[in-house]
Amino acid sequence: MNTASIISIKNMTKRFPVGKGEFTALENINLEFGEGEFAGLVGPSGSGKTTLLNIIGSLDSPTEGTATVMGKNIAQLSHKESALLRNLHIGFIFQSYNLLPVYTVFENVEFALLLQNHTASERRKAVMDALEWVGLTDKVKSKPAMLSGGEGQRVAIARAMVKRPKILLADEPSANLDAKNSHQILKTMKQLNKELKTTFIFSTHDEKVMQYLDRTISLADGKVVKDELTVAANAG
Amino acid sequence: MIQFLLKGILRDRSRSLLPIIVVASGVFLTVLLSTFMKGLFNDIIDMNAHFTTGHVKVMTRAYADNIAQMPNDLALIDVANLKEELVADYPDMEWVDRIRFGGLIDVPDENGETKTQGPAVGQAVDLLSPNTQEPQRMNMEKALRQGRLPKQPGEAMLSEDFAQKLKVELGEEVTLFGSTMEGGMAFKNFKIVGTVSFGATVLDRGAIIVDIADAQEALAMEDAAAEILGFFEGDTYDDEKAKEIVADFNAKYANDPDEYAPVMQSLKEQNDLGSLLDMSENMRIILVSVFVFAMSIVLWNTGLLGGLRRYTEFGLRLALGEEKKHIFKTMIYEAILIGFIGSVVGTILGLSVAYYLQEYGIDFSGMMKNISMMLPQVYRAQITPDALYIGFIPGLFAMVLGTALSGIGIYKRETAQLFKELEV
Repeated sequence: MNTASIISIKNMTKRFPVGKGEFTALENINLEFGEGEFAGLVGPSGSGKTTLLNIIGSLDSPTEGTATVMGKNIAQLSHKESALLRNLHIGFIFQSYNLLPVYTVFENVEFALLLQNHTASERRKAVMDALEWVGLTDKVKSKPAMLSGGEGQRVAIARAMVKRPKILLADEPSANLDAKNSHQILKTMKQLNKELKTTFIFSTHDEKVMQYLDRTISLADGKVVKDELTVAANAG
Repeated sequence: MIQFLLKGILRDRSRSLLPIIVVASGVFLTVLLSTFMKGLFNDIIDMNAHFTTGHVKVMTRAYADNIAQMPNDLALIDVANLKEELVADYPDMEWVDRIRFGGLIDVPDENGETKTQGPAVGQAVDLLSPNTQEPQRMNMEKALRQGRLPKQPGEAMLSEDFAQKLKVELGEEVTLFGSTMEGGMAFKNFKIVGTVSFGATVLDRGAIIVDIADAQEALAMEDAAAEILGFFEGDTYDDEKAKEIVADFNAKYANDPDEYAPVMQSLKEQNDLGSLLDMSENMRIILVSVFVFAMSIVLWNTGLLGGLRRYTEFGLRLALGEEKKHIFKTMIYEAILIGFIGSVVGTILGLSVAYYLQEYGIDFSGMMKNISMMLPQVYRAQITPDALYIGFIPGLFAMVLGTALSGIGIYKRETAQLFKELEV
């Protein structure tokens, strides 16, 4: 594990109201994530992986305890401060890529930079660099409909990485990909993790993803049941 | 960001085409109906003003009380002096005297016996003064169907239908039988030099048009007139100004107990034209409100459907760190842009059709044969400067309102919930 802690979760519980009662999605979670980690939240559906990812991504807040991301207590952030945290420090990758169909590959990646005050030339350079990382510089003018599944997810990775976030949250990134494409995008992410020191946190139950993880956190019924360092089978 | 969103609007037809069509259709109908209504009401008001009411009218009090009977025995006398006074006090207006009268037109055969005859409604106007505006005001050149306008005393025109009914040819002489101002019998021969059709049943039914001097001679009304009509410069009715002049004029005679003392009425005070003018404005307001309401409902739903389709985009933008407030703001910017484009398209289409209707109009004469009100038979639109922007009110407002209503639903949704829908 790396030294500097950028995510600190202490005694955190998350409950959702269900009818007149409450459903406990996460219970008494204590976790620390350091800079440059390549970690995964694993567990069956309903174990609390996505809820935890949403809280780390400042899209939701804990009911009890604290979640501190980049020194900010998530529960105390306003909408504006949460948005700013995501804008500056957090990238997301989704299971279904979520590329905007009317925009080109270049524009989809550039979209992430539009909320930051970059000039057009700075944006262009950053987008081309990001597309080079994922090997798609020849597809800049293509629309998402013209891409394969693997290419689509690589564009999504470029979009998440183009603003060089400190943290990248990936929710089941390989769920819609075949084995070959899954390995390709995981290798790409692993390489970016090494080169840019970005902390990757996956939510997954895909064995292929697990092979690449340096740390595996197992969740069951909203509780951390195992947190272990692993030697990645497909490292680097 | 705006440039980026503009690209999205232009490329994603489902996001822009349907709202633009809805807005353009609503604006088209608003502009078209508004100009048509304006033309219709103004035609009615102008026709009444030119033929019967003027923008203001001076009569004796007794005549005003019995105006429907055209009682020339109650007419104004010493008209020359009264007109001088009016010109001096209100120099910006044009003052003309008129006489309306009833009578019988007799058409003799070659032996001087009655060939045909029929009841007539006479209009005596100033046709022969060197600078008279009356023929233009009553649109006589355009209304002329045969022959010419009277050029000398003793000449008259009949309405086309009346001339056909009486079987009168141009150049023939007819005799007018009527009653003088004092109640005696009046008769005078007129040479028919033209026929007219004004396009209003009430004016065209049994009409004879003569010069006012001929009528004054025939009806023993020297220096008398039933009415003195005042018209504003530019022939545009100004209600505020009319009210001022009426109040000022009537104040001078307020303490005069004579029932033959002059009294002035504005256009709005006559023939219920005030209600018509008010109705015209109210109808335009109702029309615009109805379109704003209807279009807002349609655009609200269009916005909701569009918003549902764009949940992925909104969720993604939230994930990328955009504030919900900013997303809502950009939706409103998009709505303004789409509303503007739709309004421009709708206004151009509306004005094009309105221009056609202004030039050619719609002929309702077939449906108005028995109408006794003074209504034109061909209705035309009237394009005024406000037609250029009146469509923008419902177009832009409805689009922004529709988007705002649908956007509030998205805005209120919890961030995590919206984000979760990314995976749907």
